[in-house]
Amino acid sequence: MPRVTIDGFEMDVAPGTTILQACLQRGHEIPHYCYHDGLSIAGNCRMCLVDVEKQPKLVIGCYTPVAEGMVVHTENDKVKNARSAMMEFFLINHPLDCPICDQAGECRLQDYAVTHGTGKSRYTEPKLALAKAVDIGPHVTLDQERCIQCSRCIRFCDEVTKTGELGFFDRGERSQIGIFPGRSLDNAYSGNVVDLCPVGALTLKEFRFQTRVWYLRNTSTICAGCARGCNVVVGVGQQPTLMTTSGQLDDRIKRIVPRVNADVNDWWICDEGRLSYLREQGATRLVPAMPYDAAVAKAGAILAAAARAGTLGAILSPRLVCEDVFAWKTALEAFGGGPMRVHPLRRGEDDGLLIRADKGANSTGAGWILGQSFGATAPFKARTLLVVGDTLDPADTFVPEPGSAAEIVYVGPFVTPASRAAAVSIPAASWSEADGTFVSFEGRAQRVRRCHLPLGQDARPGWRIALDVLHAAKLDAPAWTSADDVLAAIAAKVPELEGVTPAAMGLLGVPARGTVGA
Amino acid sequence: MEQDPHLVLEGTLLGAYAIRASVAYIYIRGEFVHGTRVLERAVAEAYAANYAGANVLGSGWSCDLIVHRGAGAYICGEETALMSSLEGDRGYPRLKPPFPAASGVWKCPTTINNVETVANIPFIVERGAAWFSSVGKPPKNTGPKLYCLSGHVKRPGVYEAPLGLPMRELIEELGGGMLHTDRPLKAVIPGGSSVPVLRADECDLDLDFDSLMAKGTMLGSAGIMVMDSSVCMVAAMARIAHFYHHESCGQCTPCREGCGWLERILNRIETGLGLPSDLDLLLSVSDNIMGNTICALGDAAAMPTISFVKKFEEEFRHHIEHKTCLTGTLAMQGVR
Repeated sequence: MPRVTIDGFEMDVAPGTTILQACLQRGHEIPHYCYHDGLSIAGNCRMCLVDVEKQPKLVIGCYTPVAEGMVVHTENDKVKNARSAMMEFFLINHPLDCPICDQAGECRLQDYAVTHGTGKSRYTEPKLALAKAVDIGPHVTLDQERCIQCSRCIRFCDEVTKTGELGFFDRGERSQIGIFPGRSLDNAYSGNVVDLCPVGALTLKEFRFQTRVWYLRNTSTICAGCARGCNVVVGVGQQPTLMTTSGQLDDRIKRIVPRVNADVNDWWICDEGRLSYLREQGATRLVPAMPYDAAVAKAGAILAAAARAGTLGAILSPRLVCEDVFAWKTALEAFGGGPMRVHPLRRGEDDGLLIRADKGANSTGAGWILGQSFGATAPFKARTLLVVGDTLDPADTFVPEPGSAAEIVYVGPFVTPASRAAAVSIPAASWSEADGTFVSFEGRAQRVRRCHLPLGQDARPGWRIALDVLHAAKLDAPAWTSADDVLAAIAAKVPELEGVTPAAMGLLGVPARGTVGA
Repeated sequence: MEQDPHLVLEGTLLGAYAIRASVAYIYIRGEFVHGTRVLERAVAEAYAANYAGANVLGSGWSCDLIVHRGAGAYICGEETALMSSLEGDRGYPRLKPPFPAASGVWKCPTTINNVETVANIPFIVERGAAWFSSVGKPPKNTGPKLYCLSGHVKRPGVYEAPLGLPMRELIEELGGGMLHTDRPLKAVIPGGSSVPVLRADECDLDLDFDSLMAKGTMLGSAGIMVMDSSVCMVAAMARIAHFYHHESCGQCTPCREGCGWLERILNRIETGLGLPSDLDLLLSVSDNIMGNTICALGDAAAMPTISFVKKFEEEFRHHIEHKTCLTGTLAMQGVR
């Protein structure tokens, strides 16, 4: 391994590592715009210029591999001067519209202007006036004036989605990012260019002007859009001036962005997952028809009677967290048992990148808990059916053989055909409203976190409702007080999930035992 | 290319044969329509005579000869930008390494040479390396050179002469002397607009690589521009900056943003709107471009700027302080 000296630190670095990467390994970031771990190297922003001894000129850290005995300076005057020169160049034609720019607060141009800029510009000429709010796709808006021509978005469309919608047009100072004639930035991953854009040139239509990023409360969780289990960060609006009701914060999801996990989704998420919160917010929340205590009592009575008669069955959404599935399994067994199954949720095809046809975010985990392999959907008939969860698919009634069940007990966040047909329906927390565990199609157990308080009236985590139904029916219920308690019970009972704990999962999840040798 | 295209083709094919290349491209700037037509006719003749194509002259070696027109970009003279353009992409220079000899056009090992260089090959093959080394100023500055003389001389044109030709001889004898006898020499750009300018008092030198290097400039393309006393150096520099502003490919930041900035500062000085701080600003912006870019185009804009400002500071200051031009010619021409 080459031994290099960077800013006085000697370190051994794997051959082929670039200076910029070597610095990152040390926890030191060389400022950069065009470089991105997930894309090819363009070397065009010139922000990462560093001084390598015995080299006549500064070299770019993103492209220059380390070599044995190399001595690098990333913070000497020569480098600092070059950096502030680059910042000045970037800013001469960049509008000073931070107050109305959505990127403000998470803008690399702002960040580096503060850390590496001079604080004032020597450029006194008028800035270039270019097109604002150019519509380049269903989800993405382009501001030409803010663009710094780093080409990240172009490279993303060329290299990751391989759809090639974007390119540079014209030349020199007049060069602009643009969409090829007759094309639209409408690939299934178009929103990622917004995350990639280091400045406010590309913004997401759905997030544009919704809030300032510093008002967001961010929670690391897992996307529930399909069985991939992409790691995401959910930003919830916390802007006091947008109070929906006096004294209440605007406690709703404003955006979902990817969280890097090299084992799952790398740096990306699909547009469907990114915008999945809109579908949830657009769905009608279930409103309790009776007080909670009365509802769980009625549900308990119906389930107990059906279990005694041997006519009880249950169907569960593959979008439920493991904790809910396990709690309802425990409850059903306490009532006396009955067939349970996971409702299959498939749409479209696997696309070879991230999107899976299996839209059940926890199909694998639910299947493990119920001892049912995914796809085993042998129809069963039950006179009384417990239906838990949602599919959020208007075309999916989520009830087997409609009309086959005489009596339905529904537990879920939204109004569905099942809830309308139910004898009793109990509102539950949705995906973003309760803690839990998803198991991806690859068998990776990952932590789902509560991002905000339940928006549905009287909505609670599903596992808690299961316990309350047991209590109401005067049956023994486990003494769980948190999702972690339920998970501990799961780990003890379900062999595939043995050893899965919140600590083991951490932020990036853990391959569950069930996948070993699979 | 236009007058003796077969010389270029012969040199190209000899070079290709030497490295056993299977294809040779002649990349020609898009504006050179006539040159393209001449070359294409010559290529067809070469194919007809089996100097190119399959099994050249029964040697078992095959080489295709392809004339490729660019779309009119100065930057495509930069060898890696040329390759990008040849491949059908934007004419963007590439990061180096890899150098073309290792990975060039379509990732194949590639050698790229100027037409002038290639045209020397037939003579060297015919007369030997010793002959080539005997022309000019041995040991290091040898061979014939094409000097492209332009500007205020009586007979501008392309002159072939040995390397090391004294500049005075080129201007006075080959060029027929200054265009106007009452306007003395003021400055010479010796190697194309990208190299540092020489004042008249620096012009007693030989035109070869080392002599010009010693004076802090370069022979470059040997495009020698002669300027007499009527020339406003501010206007001349503004025109040069306009060129680089227009031709910058825009790929990397310092050149993309800096070239336009330089031109705007120079324009405002020329039109009498300059500030006393502008000369330092020009030098500083040039310095910030120099050496920080992917290719040499940024340097090409910065080097003349620095030399013009330093060597003709008096003229620049006059523009700023008096809002008139020392040359008394067409000053204040307005923003170009």
